[in-house]
Amino acid sequence: MEKMLREIRERVMQNIEEAKGSQNLEQIRVAILGKKGELTGLLRGMGKLPPEERPKMGQMVNEVRAAIEEKMEARLAELLEREKAARLQAEAIDVTLPGPERGAGSLHPMNIALEKMINIFVGMGYEAVEGPEVEFDHYNFELLNIPKNHPARDAQDTFYVDDNIVLRTHTSPVQARIMTTRKPPIRVICPGRVYRADEADATHSPVFHQMEGLVIDENITMGDLKGTLDEFARQMFGEGIKTRFRPSFFPFTEPSAEVDLTCANCKGKGVLPLAKLSPAEPGMATSQIKDLGRATSGCRMCKGTGWIEVLGAGMVNPKVLEMCGIDSTKYSGFAFGMGVERMALLKYNIPNLRYLYENDLRFLTQYR
Amino acid sequence: MKVPMKWLKEYVDIDVSAEAYASKMVMTGTAVEGVDKTGAQFDKVVVGKVVSCVDHPNSDHLHICMVDVGEAEPIQIVCGAPNVHAGMRVAAALDGAHLPGGKIKKGKMRGEVSMGMLCSGPELDVPAGLYPHIGDEGIIEIFEDVAPGTDVKAVFGLGDDIIDFEILANRPDCLSVWGLARESSAVLEKHFVMPEIAVEEKGQGAFDDYAKVEVLDDVTCPRYCARVITNVKIGPSPKWMREYLYGAGVRPINNIVDITNFVMLETGHPMHAFDLSKVKDQTIVVRRAKPGEKLTTLDGKEHVLDESMLVIADKENATGLAGIMGGEESEIVDDTASVLFECAAFERANNRVTARKLGIRTESSGRFEKGVCPDTAMEALNRACMLVNMLECGDVVPGAYDNYPHPMEHREIEASVKRVCRRIGVDVPGEVMEDILNRLYIDTTLVGDDTLHCVIPAFRQDMETEADVSEEVLRMYGYDHIPSTLMNAVTMPGYRNEKLVFNDRVKDALVGMGLFEVLNYSFISPKWIEKLNLADDDPRRSAVVLRNPLGEDTSVMRTSLVPSMLNTVAANLNRGNADGKLFELSKTFTPAEKDGELPAEHNALCVAAFGEGVDFYTVKNIVTWLLAKFGVTAAIAAEGDAYYHPGRKARMRVDGQCIAALGEIHPDVAEAFDISGRRVYVAEIDLDALRPLEKDFYGVKPLPKFPAVSRDIAVVVDEAVGAGAMMDAIARAAAKTLEDVKLFDIYRGDKLGAGRKSVAYAITLRAPDRTLTDEEINATMEKVLKALNQQFGAELRA
Repeated sequence: MEKMLREIRERVMQNIEEAKGSQNLEQIRVAILGKKGELTGLLRGMGKLPPEERPKMGQMVNEVRAAIEEKMEARLAELLEREKAARLQAEAIDVTLPGPERGAGSLHPMNIALEKMINIFVGMGYEAVEGPEVEFDHYNFELLNIPKNHPARDAQDTFYVDDNIVLRTHTSPVQARIMTTRKPPIRVICPGRVYRADEADATHSPVFHQMEGLVIDENITMGDLKGTLDEFARQMFGEGIKTRFRPSFFPFTEPSAEVDLTCANCKGKGVLPLAKLSPAEPGMATSQIKDLGRATSGCRMCKGTGWIEVLGAGMVNPKVLEMCGIDSTKYSGFAFGMGVERMALLKYNIPNLRYLYENDLRFLTQYR
Repeated sequence: MKVPMKWLKEYVDIDVSAEAYASKMVMTGTAVEGVDKTGAQFDKVVVGKVVSCVDHPNSDHLHICMVDVGEAEPIQIVCGAPNVHAGMRVAAALDGAHLPGGKIKKGKMRGEVSMGMLCSGPELDVPAGLYPHIGDEGIIEIFEDVAPGTDVKAVFGLGDDIIDFEILANRPDCLSVWGLARESSAVLEKHFVMPEIAVEEKGQGAFDDYAKVEVLDDVTCPRYCARVITNVKIGPSPKWMREYLYGAGVRPINNIVDITNFVMLETGHPMHAFDLSKVKDQTIVVRRAKPGEKLTTLDGKEHVLDESMLVIADKENATGLAGIMGGEESEIVDDTASVLFECAAFERANNRVTARKLGIRTESSGRFEKGVCPDTAMEALNRACMLVNMLECGDVVPGAYDNYPHPMEHREIEASVKRVCRRIGVDVPGEVMEDILNRLYIDTTLVGDDTLHCVIPAFRQDMETEADVSEEVLRMYGYDHIPSTLMNAVTMPGYRNEKLVFNDRVKDALVGMGLFEVLNYSFISPKWIEKLNLADDDPRRSAVVLRNPLGEDTSVMRTSLVPSMLNTVAANLNRGNADGKLFELSKTFTPAEKDGELPAEHNALCVAAFGEGVDFYTVKNIVTWLLAKFGVTAAIAAEGDAYYHPGRKARMRVDGQCIAALGEIHPDVAEAFDISGRRVYVAEIDLDALRPLEKDFYGVKPLPKFPAVSRDIAVVVDEAVGAGAMMDAIARAAAKTLEDVKLFDIYRGDKLGAGRKSVAYAITLRAPDRTLTDEEINATMEKVLKALNQQFGAELRA
């Protein structure tokens, strides 16, 4: 009996050691410790032994059983760990494979730029408002100090619906609408579509977008206009981008300024270190050769000047304030108008305005 | 306006380079388009002397010339011009020269070496009239005794810097050399030196002996001045004058015409020269046209006039449009012997309206509509007479006609130094302001320490208020002095208005669903609307029409976003972009109901999907999800416009109001938009209708505590029955305990019979307060079946 037990123990220990997996181990367990197992059978057969031998035998069988269980438990843990490692290894995938096609689309780059512009001014306490695109001549021109038959109208080739209704040539009529209906302090931006009778080319489009800004309050100065636009330039194009004001003329502002921004391409230096020199080709128009001369000596984006003209601005003409019913002795203000497409072209390095209205998916999908 | 530097320098000492000068002008408010040189279109062209000229042995028209170009030996040049001959001085382009037509390289012509090219006027792109013989046949002959090798630019008076100024509408006074010289003198702090105007009157008799002028409308013609020149000898004007005119972009013609152009450019006053012998009765009448009066202008065009138009006439007929264009009869010709010079001022708005109505735009009309100062008209006229003296091309008759009944008054402005400083944000001392304004010829005195008393000169009609004074001060003081400050004002909340916020959310949702935003023009061709096959009385057929469109394709404001969207799809397919999901959020326009009102503008959205894996349900899902984002569910029904596929179109309604239309584009319509054989799915969403339906807060249901049960049912119905409609019926029938109903199978087969289908749904039921019993569940399912049977004739599938 003792010998038998020893044999069982040795054989089972050996089997456990050699078990090929957790399932195999379970089979071994059932064969020895299960209801019909070998060891269970031995215990059951103990009733046939003389009573004085029973305790000793019982103890021996239990010792063997405990040893086997202990061994089995250790082996099971080992096998499970090994099996898990094997499974994880088998589950390895090629992480370099591309995932399924990206789901998101995108806003049009013009609107991406516009959203950014609106955010900047909303952050500075401006309210974004809209106005009609088909507009009365009265708001588009007359209230802005551009009377009928005034040569200043030539600067804006206008689409007419009838003698008194036009497609707005700028977002400035929204200014006039706001000034005639609200009391200062006023701080608004007016984004939207505008129309000019220009044929489409690389820099013109008969339909484009502007964003107008208007501030009316007490003691507003031209310095405040500059500070505001400096802050806009910094947020829109990055640190180091500044504004330069040049005197200009708009009937609705006095003084007026054309505003340039530091060229982001050459950082205002006007020259690029690796500018390629390409000589004038015979047959080039004079203007082309002139352009070439500029481009070869420096940055093509700003034509070597270090500055890019981006917007018009000025102090609201007191005549305009009075026409709109605002006391010009008490209040002053500034206004600015910027082309959104121009901003998008500069911001996203788009070489040709036409891209924006062709809606070619090969272009649009670059903005998602 | 193009101005040669040399011309400016006659009146103001510009001691910096053209570029530096241009930059100073720009930074003080006179815009410059560019700095150029005359003759920049060619180089390496020198005076050559033809030493010998023999016929080319292998050609019937070429000549072999030996040309002295100032080098040690003459060079051989093959030339085909008929007028080339030995002893002639020519313009020789050397090897490597750049000409407007290309680069000159040495080579062989029919076996003979040619080291360059002898040039004609067109080959150098210099006009006839710049140099006396440029316009003649063949190559240019230089008659002056100029050393071979001299750059021909010197001979033609080329090589001067030309500043191309862009004069803005407020400064018509700068549309002249004198005006710019005066402005430059203020900018550069130099003196402006006008020539002394003195006319030598050598002619016989007096003005009245030769001509009579009657001005019948001194409102539209506030001033009219005229003088007479006799013994006129028409000929070329001198080289300096031709050079200035060419530099300014004006073609030299003859001495009298050149003088009028020269004076216009120098003084800003358009002039007109009449051949006096051809003016009927030597009488000039300035009057309004008679209604329907006809006139043929210099360019040979006949115009029918109306009473608003000012004409120059003889006793009977109109002969010219005042300030716009002269008539044919009294044009200066080679044998003109006596001339009447006109220098007048015409009212700008009237001039502009007339020019627009007749569709004529001339240099002269452009100047009058911007504003010509009447005060200096006589001065300009005398300048012309002085040039007649100088050019010795006629005798000035003593006396002049001058009608100027209401001389201009000089405006006065009082400005406060403090207020100016506050406006510009820069502290400029009163004395500095006074000095700046005086430099600009605004006669200014500082009274006390705050009041500037300014007397505005006649040529500065743009100066009206203190704000104008502040601009003058600031631009001369320097815009670079403006500090960068942020306003010291009350804090205001920044935000977008509700509609902008709503539109942004719509766009964000669509972008998230994989759509790309497109931008199309707001105006389209009326033909595009035709292509939609709309009913005759469809409101979308009546659009806001532009009076002056760029072309028919952009002539009406769109009443629907669909046509431009279909064009966008077609363009993408043409470029090989086979798949796409697009949207445009923009406005549509409906004509006003009453005259004099603005058209209605609608906030519209159009979605399109095309290509692989896209079908009706793609756009239906886009619309449904978009509505869901705003808490809106809509009922769908198979109906819609004729431009959709008759079996694949739908409208979605909320409480009967249509908020979306969608479907596959009808193949005929697709073909009309050049989309053949491809399916395009479109949805139109009325955002104005959707926006007020938004539910801000959707409500929260407590999480379930009791288990749910699922039951599947399959019913057989006719093909025409909508599976979605049955789903709605199930939801209504099981409303009390329904949690969810999903369609999971549609089956068609022989067993069911033709025109029948089996539709299977998974129905989930749950009660919030108890576990549902089998009895309850069975009762509900029976109710569902009954409803389906009653409403759709559905039978439980065996």
